[in-house]
Amino acid sequence: MSSQALASLLPLPVALPIAGAVAAPLLARLHRRLAVIVGMVALGGAAAILLLQAPSVFGGLVRAHYLGLWTPVHGHALGIAMAADPFGLIFALTSAVVGAVLLLYTLSELGGLGPRELGGYACLFQLVVAALIGAALTADLINLFVWFEVAALASYGLTAFLLERPIALEAAFKIIALTTLASFAVFLGAGLLYAVNGALNYAPLHAALARHLSTADVIALGLLVAGFATKTGLVPFHGWLADVHTATSGPVSALFSGLMYNFGIVAIARLAFQVFGVGSTPILGLLLTVGIISALLGAVMALAQDDLKRLLAYDTISQMGILAIGLGTGTASGIAGTVYHLVNHALFKSLLFLCAGAILHRTGLTKLSEMGALARRMPVVAVAFVIGAASIAGIPPLNGYVSLSLIHTGLLDGHQYLPYALMLVAQVITIAALGKAAWLAFFRPRAQYYPQLEPLRPGMVAGLASLAGCCVVFGVLPQFFLDSVMAPAVAGLRYPAHYASGVLTGLARLPALHLPFDYFSPGELASVAGCVLAGAALGWAYLRAREPGPVRLLRAAHTGSVNDYAAYAVAGMLAVVAVLTLT
Amino acid sequence: MILGNYLTAVALFCVGLYVLLTRRNLIKIVMGLSLMEASTYLFMVSLAYRAGSTAPVLVSPPAGKTAKQLAHGNVADPVLQNFCLTAVVIGVAVTAVFLSVVVRIAQHYRTLDADKVRAMRG
Repeated sequence: MSSQALASLLPLPVALPIAGAVAAPLLARLHRRLAVIVGMVALGGAAAILLLQAPSVFGGLVRAHYLGLWTPVHGHALGIAMAADPFGLIFALTSAVVGAVLLLYTLSELGGLGPRELGGYACLFQLVVAALIGAALTADLINLFVWFEVAALASYGLTAFLLERPIALEAAFKIIALTTLASFAVFLGAGLLYAVNGALNYAPLHAALARHLSTADVIALGLLVAGFATKTGLVPFHGWLADVHTATSGPVSALFSGLMYNFGIVAIARLAFQVFGVGSTPILGLLLTVGIISALLGAVMALAQDDLKRLLAYDTISQMGILAIGLGTGTASGIAGTVYHLVNHALFKSLLFLCAGAILHRTGLTKLSEMGALARRMPVVAVAFVIGAASIAGIPPLNGYVSLSLIHTGLLDGHQYLPYALMLVAQVITIAALGKAAWLAFFRPRAQYYPQLEPLRPGMVAGLASLAGCCVVFGVLPQFFLDSVMAPAVAGLRYPAHYASGVLTGLARLPALHLPFDYFSPGELASVAGCVLAGAALGWAYLRAREPGPVRLLRAAHTGSVNDYAAYAVAGMLAVVAVLTLT
Repeated sequence: MILGNYLTAVALFCVGLYVLLTRRNLIKIVMGLSLMEASTYLFMVSLAYRAGSTAPVLVSPPAGKTAKQLAHGNVADPVLQNFCLTAVVIGVAVTAVFLSVVVRIAQHYRTLDADKVRAMRG
């Protein structure tokens, strides 16, 4: 297919899920399962069109399409730009494929719901995925804001959707309040950048900012970063996140944690690397700091939880911190690690949340202290959970090992030894938390027997198996993925001028990068072994000890009050803006 | 003149923020966020202002002027106003969802006190 034709297909991966979202509630009237099936078709179609772009884009091309052919004139872009660069395409593809798998799982697990429920559910689900694909492919700030809001609105609906428990309403209130606050920051930031530079498209914006960077621009960057950090759930903007996951069903949690939170990281990466450029602001140091705080706090809070889904939610905060750390290194390895981890996190965290949802759905239990010995009753879920947990722990040959070692390499390349040590500490605590969860839920003996548990349906097994299989595939073929997918993405982030020229002219080639990866690096293997041993010891000790004072203090700070969480977020926003403008 | 707009926007934003951070009534929290939202619109429209400019409507120019003259002349920045309109539409939708959640909370919990609707903490 010609390049022109491929470019003109770019709006379709967004349009298809939106059309599916409109069709779902209508088709649900004919047959309730049609709603979810049309969703799978729409997401599958989106994935297929994105795959058509893949050979050339992952070959190092940036391709752009302007809606209505309002192409740029003399470097001024007025039209709505859709640009496929390797970085965005990875995120878009992951969203479409994992989204389709999650819908398949939903069809299987929740297929018994009524037509109205399934129709609305499939509609909101597809809107979230459409927004994620849109955000990945858009090349201007106003559309980024709009996709932010589309994802946000649909996520509010999904949070409060299945009112199995009234806490879903409480969670919905918190996510709406905090995300609305974030949307003001994004709105003001984007408007300010336009008012100063007269451009919303990334390419002219990058040119204008490279020429001259005023204080207003830096304030705008701070507002945008704070806004997207709220969407991602980085500390201190994370108050709403754990509550949302405590209340929602498994597939919704998987969608949010696996896919939606990455939105913020993708947006921050684009802003930091492709719009502003990393040399002119202290954004990398900021990301590194925020990332380490998130990684540590998320891990500690995860270790302290008794609710399985809440534990996984705090671990999500920790993993988002790891993503920020990788970006903050600024080195090729670190960024590649983040991009790799973005995909990995979508796989293993979706897997874990589906497992937690399956347990909740089958046994009605949410608390780890009430579970036990589930491995014999739900062997498939147990295997899937252990694969997911081992991936996060970074045990070879699973995917987490590759992305974490890349980020480690990035930190060591940049001589960031303190962040490296702190990241290892966070890793040890994460392993302890997940090991504790796996032991308590699946392996420890349990006195009373479970009543007859409903067996897993084929669609659920297929969903779990495909996600777990991907975890293994991404773990055993790192060099293939690095060379063919991650390296071009890193090139797109590291060479913003090439990306900008691709957006403006419609076609540009990125410089080729090679990312070496030593699978059997002795240092890395030793650190994994050390982390796993230390993590197991910590988990074992934690189960026997009383809750330590600092952990109790941290838990007390998470008061559950909207006012407090908003205060943390506002304080964080002010801090981010202050750090960026004053240093 | 336009400075007044900016000051009003900042004041409104601070009032809204104060409500968000200190009031526990759920409806008041929604109102606080709405105030902040309104202040961002005011701020954005004020950014679009240029001294002595006309509205950016180029379809039927005033007598004695052509659309081209207007486009090359002094009009307020249409992009920011457009941006604002988009945000207004989104804001309405968000407020609607927000209030419907508050209604459901009131039905379930029989209270509007945010302090009594915090089962999840820690």
